[in-house]
Amino acid sequence: MSLLQVKGLRRDFGSLRAVDDVSFTLEAGSILGFIGPNGAGKSTTLRILATLDVPTTGEVLLDGHSLVDAPDKARPLIGYMPDRYGTYDDVTVFEFLDFFARAYGLKGTQRRERVESVMEFTGLTPLAQKLTTALSKGMRQRVALGRTLLHDPRLLLLDEPADGLDPRARIELRELLRALADQGKAVIISSHILTELAEICDTCAIIEQGRLLATGKVEDILQQGGGSAVAPELTVRLAAGAEGDAVWARAERLLLEQPRVVHVAREGEALRVRLELEPGTGPAQVDAAAAVLLTALVSAGLPVCSFSARERNLEDAFMTVTKGRVA
Amino acid sequence: MSTPVDTAASTPPETAAPSAGGMTSGAPPWWERWGDRLNPLVVKEVRQGLRTRIFWVCFGLMLLACVVLSLIAYVNTREAQYTRSGRYYFFAFFVCLGLVHFFVIPYNAYRSLAREREDETWVLLVLTGLGPRRILLGKVASYLVQAALYASAVGPFLLFSYFLNGIALPTILAVLSLGAAWLVFCTVVGVCAATLAGGRLTRGFVHFLLLGTLGAAVVYGLVAAFAMVEAGDRLLGDDDFLYAVGVGLALMLTDGWLLFETAASRLALPTEDYTRGPRRALLTQVLLAALGGVAVWWAEGKDHTVAEVFGIMGALHLIAVVLFVATDVDGLARPMRASTRPWSLLRPGAVRGFRLGVLLLAAWAALWVGLEFMSPRVPDRGMAMRMVTVAIPTYGIFYISVAVLLGRMPRSDRLSSPGALRLLVMAVVGLASSLPPLVAVLVGLDADDGLFNLLNPIMGAANFGTYEYSSAGSKMSWELLAFVVGVTVLAAFAADRVLVEREKRVHAS
Repeated sequence: MSLLQVKGLRRDFGSLRAVDDVSFTLEAGSILGFIGPNGAGKSTTLRILATLDVPTTGEVLLDGHSLVDAPDKARPLIGYMPDRYGTYDDVTVFEFLDFFARAYGLKGTQRRERVESVMEFTGLTPLAQKLTTALSKGMRQRVALGRTLLHDPRLLLLDEPADGLDPRARIELRELLRALADQGKAVIISSHILTELAEICDTCAIIEQGRLLATGKVEDILQQGGGSAVAPELTVRLAAGAEGDAVWARAERLLLEQPRVVHVAREGEALRVRLELEPGTGPAQVDAAAAVLLTALVSAGLPVCSFSARERNLEDAFMTVTKGRVA
Repeated sequence: MSTPVDTAASTPPETAAPSAGGMTSGAPPWWERWGDRLNPLVVKEVRQGLRTRIFWVCFGLMLLACVVLSLIAYVNTREAQYTRSGRYYFFAFFVCLGLVHFFVIPYNAYRSLAREREDETWVLLVLTGLGPRRILLGKVASYLVQAALYASAVGPFLLFSYFLNGIALPTILAVLSLGAAWLVFCTVVGVCAATLAGGRLTRGFVHFLLLGTLGAAVVYGLVAAFAMVEAGDRLLGDDDFLYAVGVGLALMLTDGWLLFETAASRLALPTEDYTRGPRRALLTQVLLAALGGVAVWWAEGKDHTVAEVFGIMGALHLIAVVLFVATDVDGLARPMRASTRPWSLLRPGAVRGFRLGVLLLAAWAALWVGLEFMSPRVPDRGMAMRMVTVAIPTYGIFYISVAVLLGRMPRSDRLSSPGALRLLVMAVVGLASSLPPLVAVLVGLDADDGLFNLLNPIMGAANFGTYEYSSAGSKMSWELLAFVVGVTVLAAFAADRVLVEREKRVHAS
């Protein structure tokens, strides 16, 4: 049985339907990226999953406990990190974690060990006596994550965890989350920054206007969306040499004459070629189309030194299934 | 990488970090075991509070003022054989403490919780399982601990004033005890005010309202202290004073508890039984007030006036509280629905809040009008006072019912929110109070015409309570009152049906 089962979740605020018939499941040890534009219903869904709000209809089961009917039983299994760090002024890192450990009911030696263990895991031990206000954003994010882990939850709900972090802090956060998933925790990360999710998540759920448009692996979502809205792109580099512009112009003209090529643009020392393919076109057909172009270029005696196709990613999946509407 | 998994119940990982904050292994010392039992917020807030600049600035200034005052006292009294200036120095020291206790502490308590709300850290607190009541209790307790630290600094100076003569030890103890009660009440008010703030505009309004209220609280506290210091022992032997103090303390206790529970319900999660606390506090308050009132009525020889005062003042207080109880949101969370019965009036939901409010107001009116009838000596205005004792709660029920009908009967939810409904009650009462006298004047009648103002909550109540000496009888009749009661019963029944329908709709969706 899945650790988390969300069935037909709906949340109305007056006449506004913020979440509409959202259903998905999540296994222990997996990371789900919850993606959607601002106002799509991500935070509302997360708040319901965190037992901070109740759905108008629908059911959520966490390890068999209903979040709606028995939130008290499910709550200890949930670690929720809102989009704000939620740290206090004039409190050291140790005091902050110690306070929340007390609040979770941990006592004496058990509490100290737990706080030490969490600080060690999040790399906060050297900063234990520093005031939280003196920390960088990345470190404060770690403190917040540490707080989320204090009671050893099985499901982590992270709302925009990497927002405002520098690249290093993002990479470190990614490693921490991967380690947590390896320990068997299920993680849901809500974000609208797709690049950060693409590298962390095993599966994605794309939500728009409160409706879940697609769930699954990125490739599966692209398949679900028909795969035609985003044209595959090819990058061609030429060893143009002294003839320079003339070679680039010839290549551009030649490419535009080829079937399925809809756009060619020179970007620095490369040509960006966009193809239009029929709905449902698979990777094999894309490869075939690329081969035709490469053959044409080489046959025309153009000095091709690099020819590559960009792999479709989470951004493409997102663009495939969403329409840019807000609830 | 070492992980926190399962370390709570087992040994820490081998690569565990070095001890933080001077921690040692082995059995925790007694103070730590004792500290484990404390509300976590007390530990955190006191740690946090003692690091703030405001604490040390206030502490330093207060101590400096006390030292300066002591030096002045020393210089003024060293030459004299015997002076009676102790009371003035006591008051001066008390002013130093009072400014902090009645303003700084409640305001900081307010700011502390308001920041939790603004930064949404209270959500994290609620999720730990602490619960809103423990969170608020922790906030109040931590600021009382800080208040105790301030008091400990001023304590020796207050005692010093006793040795300057002119003030008795019982007076000092009485002022300090009442001051402590006032401090607790003001701190509770401060913390509760922080739960009111929703949007930025409301926050600003509540902030300034609280500043004004605390300013008034300082003035009130200090004026009362000065009066007690001036009157000295005489006041402590005065029965009326002791009676007033008793009433004041009872109000502070019960209203403080009610405010506290209301604030806790505002912080509760939607799945919790958030109304149980405030409604239980309200019931207790009403019961205590009724018992106290009956005791006073009995002790005063079944005095009709006592029943009048308790009946009217209590009804006004109750209407103000019922306004909030009866305008709850519709329905209740799914986990509670199955076990909720028609008589589960402490459970959330507008329909149960409305019924509880109506029952309390009706019972209150019945109790006091009954006691008025049982009073052996009936003054001339007795009949009029009995009518007004019934009329005030009746108007209360009527206008709350009308607002419920106007706000919640339409299918549109525009006016159905609790806040909108409360505003609607006030608007309807405002209109009903001002229009009939105007119309009466326009048609050539007296502004306070009895029939024209029959449903006017202010003029109508005044008319029912008017005894006309010229005709040696009440201005209004029992028949007219019966009409108002009848209309109110219909309005309340209709409002009840509307709320029941809405609850069914909410639960079905």
